[in-house]
Order: sequence, then C-alpha cells, then structure tokens
Amino acid sequence: MKLGIISVAHMHAYSYANAIGKLAGVQLVGVADEDEARGKEAAEKWGVPFYHDYRELLAADVDAVIITSENAKHHEHTVAAAKAGKHILCEKPLATTLAAAQEMIEICREQGVILQTAFPVRFHPAVVRAKQLVEQGKVGRIMAIRGTNRGQNPGGWFVDPAKSGGGAVIDHTVHVVDLMRWFMGVEVREVYAEVDSKFSPTPIDDCGILTMEFENGVFATLDCSWSRNKTFPVWGDVTMEIIGTEGTISLDAFSQKLDVYSNDKGLKWVNWGDDMDSQLVSDFVASVREKKAPSVTGEDGMRAVEVALAAYQSAESKQPVVIR
Amino acid sequence: MHHVLVIGAGTMGTVHAKSYAAMKNVELVGIVDLRGERGRELAAETNTQWFASYDEAMEKLERVDIIDVCLPTYLHKTYVQKAADAGKHVICEKPLARSKEEAQSIVDYCHEKNVKLFVGHVLRFFPEYEKSRQLVNDGTIGNVGVARTFRGGIFPTAWNDWYADYKNSGGLVLDMIIHDFDFLRWCFGDVERVYAKSLLGRGFARIDYALVTLRFKSGMIAHVEGSWAHEGFSMKMELAGSEGIIQYDSAKEKPLIAVNRAKQAGMGGVAVPESPLRENPYFRELKHFIDCIENDLQPRVTVEDAVKAVEIARAALESIETGKPVTLV
Ligand SMILES: NC(=O)c1ccc[n+]([C@@H]2O[C@H](COP(=O)([O-])OP(=O)(O)OC[C@H]3O[C@@H](n4cnc5c(N)ncnc54)[C@H](O)[C@@H]3O)[C@@H](O)[C@H]2O)c1
Repeated sequence: MKLGIISVAHMHAYSYANAIGKLAGVQLVGVADEDEARGKEAAEKWGVPFYHDYRELLAADVDAVIITSENAKHHEHTVAAAKAGKHILCEKPLATTLAAAQEMIEICREQGVILQTAFPVRFHPAVVRAKQLVEQGKVGRIMAIRGTNRGQNPGGWFVDPAKSGGGAVIDHTVHVVDLMRWFMGVEVREVYAEVDSKFSPTPIDDCGILTMEFENGVFATLDCSWSRNKTFPVWGDVTMEIIGTEGTISLDAFSQKLDVYSNDKGLKWVNWGDDMDSQLVSDFVASVREKKAPSVTGEDGMRAVEVALAAYQSAESKQPVVIR
Repeated sequence: MHHVLVIGAGTMGTVHAKSYAAMKNVELVGIVDLRGERGRELAAETNTQWFASYDEAMEKLERVDIIDVCLPTYLHKTYVQKAADAGKHVICEKPLARSKEEAQSIVDYCHEKNVKLFVGHVLRFFPEYEKSRQLVNDGTIGNVGVARTFRGGIFPTAWNDWYADYKNSGGLVLDMIIHDFDFLRWCFGDVERVYAKSLLGRGFARIDYALVTLRFKSGMIAHVEGSWAHEGFSMKMELAGSEGIIQYDSAKEKPLIAVNRAKQAGMGGVAVPESPLRENPYFRELKHFIDCIENDLQPRVTVEDAVKAVEIARAALESIETGKPVTLV
C-alpha cells in the first residue's frame, strides 16, 4: 500500500511517517507541502519525492493520504483527496467549522473513501483497558468524569486563529471529549466554558475549563489549557477520573515514565509506554486494506469539534450552550 | 490563662480539645456533648470534665473565657449566639452557617454583643497551602492563570448521620470544598462567577461528587473538585502560572509510612501513612486565634472571609440546582 503525507505543518506528521516506516507492506511515497523548506527537509529525511502542490501528490500512484496540514486546511485537502479517490487519515481537530466537517464527511461518503480522524489516544493501552473495565461494569454506572488534556503552547501557526481555528480549546478539547463519547456511547448535550488567555504572549485562548452534560445525564469537566511551562517534566497530559456507582477509575495515560534528572534539562519524564501513533496508523492501514469502516470516523471528529465550538460560544455568552 | 470550653466531642471536638490540652496558656475547662460515653472518654483523655449540656457547663463552671463550637453546622448559630449572650469569645468550626444570611446574622450578633468570632478555615494553617500562597505572592510562578484543587474521600460518618441530611450539612459543596473556596479566595481575591455540577438531586444516596468552576475578579480560573465517592482521604492542588507551576498531592507526600506485616496468608498488611509536624495545622490555627484574643489582633481568617466562603459555596449549590452560572455581587 502506498501512502502520501499532505503537509508536515503538524508535528504528528513525523511520528506518523515513522510509524509507516515500521509497517510491513506499506510505503511512504511522497510528501506535499506548500512550505518548500519544511516539506523538502521532511521528504529528504524520509527519502521520498517532494511535491510543492498537493494535487501532484494526489495525481501520483497513492492509495491513501495522511493530512497533517494546519487545521483550517483540512477541509480543502480532504475534499481534494476524496475526489481523487484516496483514503484519508486526517489530523484532529477534523475541521474548524461544523459546516466544513460535515462537507468532508459527505464527500468521503460519496466518493467511497475512508475518512478517519486521528485520535491516537484511543489506541493507548491504558485507555483501551479503562474502556474495557467500564464495559465490564467494574465501576458500575458512570456518574461523572473529570478530564484533563493540558499541554505546552505549541506556538507557530497554532496561535494564528486563521490557520488553527482557535487555541487551546479547539486543540485540546477534542481528544478527551472523544474518549468520553467513546466510553459511554452518547453525545454531549450541553457545554459551559470559562476560557481565557493567560500564559501566552500572543492573544489566543490558552486556558479553559469546560463543563459538559451528556445525553445520559453524566456530567464532566475538561481542562484543555496550555498551562504546562518549559520546565514541567513533560509536554502535557491525558487524564480521566471516572466516578461510577461502584467505584472509580483514575487514568493517567502518560504516567509510564522514568524520572530523568540531567544537569542539562533538570527533571524530565521519559515515557516508556507503547507508541500510540503507530497503533493509529496501523489501524488506519488495516481499515484501508480490509475495506472496512474506520474505527474512528469523520463523524467522531466532527462531534468533538462541535463541543469545542460550543465551548467558545459559551465563553462568549457566559451561558451554557445546548447542543442537542 | 484562657479558660476554654469545647462544645461537641465528635471528630472536630476531639481535635480541638487535644490541641487545647497541649497549650500552655490554655486551660481546657470542659467538654460538652449529648453523648455521655464519648464525652467522658474525651474528657478523660484531655484531663478535663464532661458536661451533658451547654447550660449545665455554664452553670457549674466558675470561669469560661472562650467557647469553641464543634457542633454540626446547623447548630452553629444557636450555640454561637448563646456564647455571645454570655459575653464569651467564640471559635466556631467551618462552615460558619448553612447560608450567607445565616452566616451574616451570626457575625452581626457577635458584633452587637461585642465578642470576637473566629472561624476554623484551617487550610490557611496547613503549611503546604500557606507556603504555596507565599510562593505565589513572591512571584515564583508568575501570574496564576488556572488553579485546580481536589479534596475528598469517603462519605463522612458522624453523630446522627447529620452529614447525610443536606439541609443541615450543606453536603459536599458547603461542608468540604468550602476549604478550597476559602483558600483560593485568600490567594486570589474575590470570585465573580460560579458554575457547578454535582450528584445532588440525581438520585444517588450516600455518595457525592462535585466539579466547580470559579472565575475570579482577577480573571483567574479555578477548577475545584470535591468527592465523597473515593476511598481514603486526599487533597491536591495545582497552581499554574505564567512562569511556573506548583503542585501538591497529599497522597504522594508521605514522609513516614509504617506497615504491619500480614500475619495471615492472603491478608494485606495495613499501611499507616503520617506526615508529622511539630504542630499540626489545627493546633496552629487555634493557637493563632488564642493569640488574636490575647493581643487583640486581626485574625488570618476574618468573619468576612467566613461569610464569603459560605457565599461561594451557596452560589455553587445554586448553579448545581439551576444549571446556570451564578454571578456574585
Ligand atoms: N475543619 C475541618 O477540617 C473540619 C473537619 C470535619 C468537620 N468540620 C466541621 O466541624 C463541625 C462538627 O463536625 P464533626 O465531624 O466533628 O461532627 P460529629 O458528628 O463528629 O460531632 C458532633 C458532636 O456534637 C454532639 N452534639 C450534637 N448536638 C449537641 C448538642 N446540642 N449539645 C452537645 N453536643 C451535641 C454529638 O454528640 C457529636 O459528638 C461541623 O461544622 C463540620 O463541618 C470541620
């Protein structure tokens, strides 16, 4: 199977390319990027042709593409790839507006190509295990969930709303909202959020606390802040505290780590857990190969974006926003 | 010598009585509790007398200077007023009352009767919290943008199961995470807006869990988590600032752990963690209050602070009930 990468704007492009390199029978055949310097550098690193125009990559002999462009370009790139008959693994957030997400999903359906949203955390073994425990009824009925997905301010185009669609809220809401939806199989009904700009030099939303109510009556909060500073031992976290009628589950996905104290960097946590990005890519490849529905759909991506957008709306109006 | 009478020999009465018993400038003159057995037991332990009622104690005791109210929250008003009527200074456990109005009326009453009132927001005397505030004030982590706290454990058991009667105890939000509301206000000033969710009114018995978002007037955002749904008590705090982060987790800071080796196969040994201090936070708090009485000082926790803490908790409860954010005036 031949895979291409459209844009290396998002740093995950590098770990996905890495993952492709490890998979048998899968080949990375090209990289497209409108930014010639970064695109060429990546293409050279991986030893594949570089295309300045992604349309040339789509015209080449490629079965599927990974889209890791700036958030606001996911739509253009997905629509073009779908029309060229390529299967798509698209970086999160799926899109920056609901209309764009909807259109991406529809076009992929019409063209009969797979659209998978890149939610790698679903492939983390501790997350998979937590879901299993929930399904086995280990904590009884879920009553509430407390989540965090914090990180460092990634800078660059992430803090340019025209390209990113927003800051921390759109960047860091989607992963854990996706997990909550996935664990419970229900949608978010209502969102309230306090959002602000507190840590960055650029005026972009970089902190937020969302409160959600799900269709099944479960309430949850999520801290999506870019509140990890330079010297924090790790770039960020994914945590969930699940409160059930029979018990609780505490999930801290990146806690499989070594405490490393170097004179150079002070204390840093070096992760020794399984690589979720390669699991994500191999799952996508398997779906393409077996022509089956993707395990994480475009719809999943859209539902998560919907919550992030509602959070912005709530922060603006200072009122809860009813989604459905 | 300050002559102190403690009312209530439950969880807090025990902690307070033991603290007073260890103070050189205090004489613990008595302990009042309805429950004779418990009252006698604690009185014996702290080398004082037990009385079956407040009135009996006041009748029989020659001298009382300070009355310390460690009764269930719904009884605070009645007993603080009795003490004020008798012209005694009062130390009262938190929360001062169940509503802002009730709290304010207690404050006004003490003011009218010209007695001092101190409220046990003890978190301000926990060295880890005190030190965190100091670091923030020193600018160590820059401007704090997001604060997160956790406080919780199992559903409390007490005399007459009074905590389970939310009208009387205020439940998790008024009884428990009011500590964090007060601490955050101490560090970051007044709260502007409150939004909260909890299990209240969702049909679960003897279990509670609350997630509260506070927006401060300064713009800071705080996430306050409270639980009566976890096993084993713990408290956590994280202050994330523009220049750094402070984290504390009581479950991780254990300077001393004593473990009993399991005697039978299949039976786990019991681990008893401790964090010993020369003076525990309750002792430090009460010592400070006594000092304020002795030297006519402004206490670290003012009565206004105690009223404001109740106000925040009430706003959270209102938000839980209505599903809407509550703006404080
Ligand atoms: N600061 C803290 O960390 C902390 C911790 C726990 C409780 N508290 C507060 O302390 C107060 C007491 O709580 P507790 O857990 O100790 O309760 P508790 O039920 O353990 O103790 C209350 C005691 O009061 C006695 N009592 C009840 N009515 C009486 C009356 N009319 N006269 C004499 N005795 C009477 C009961 O027999 C019981 O021994 C509450 O306001 C609570 O919110 C504070």
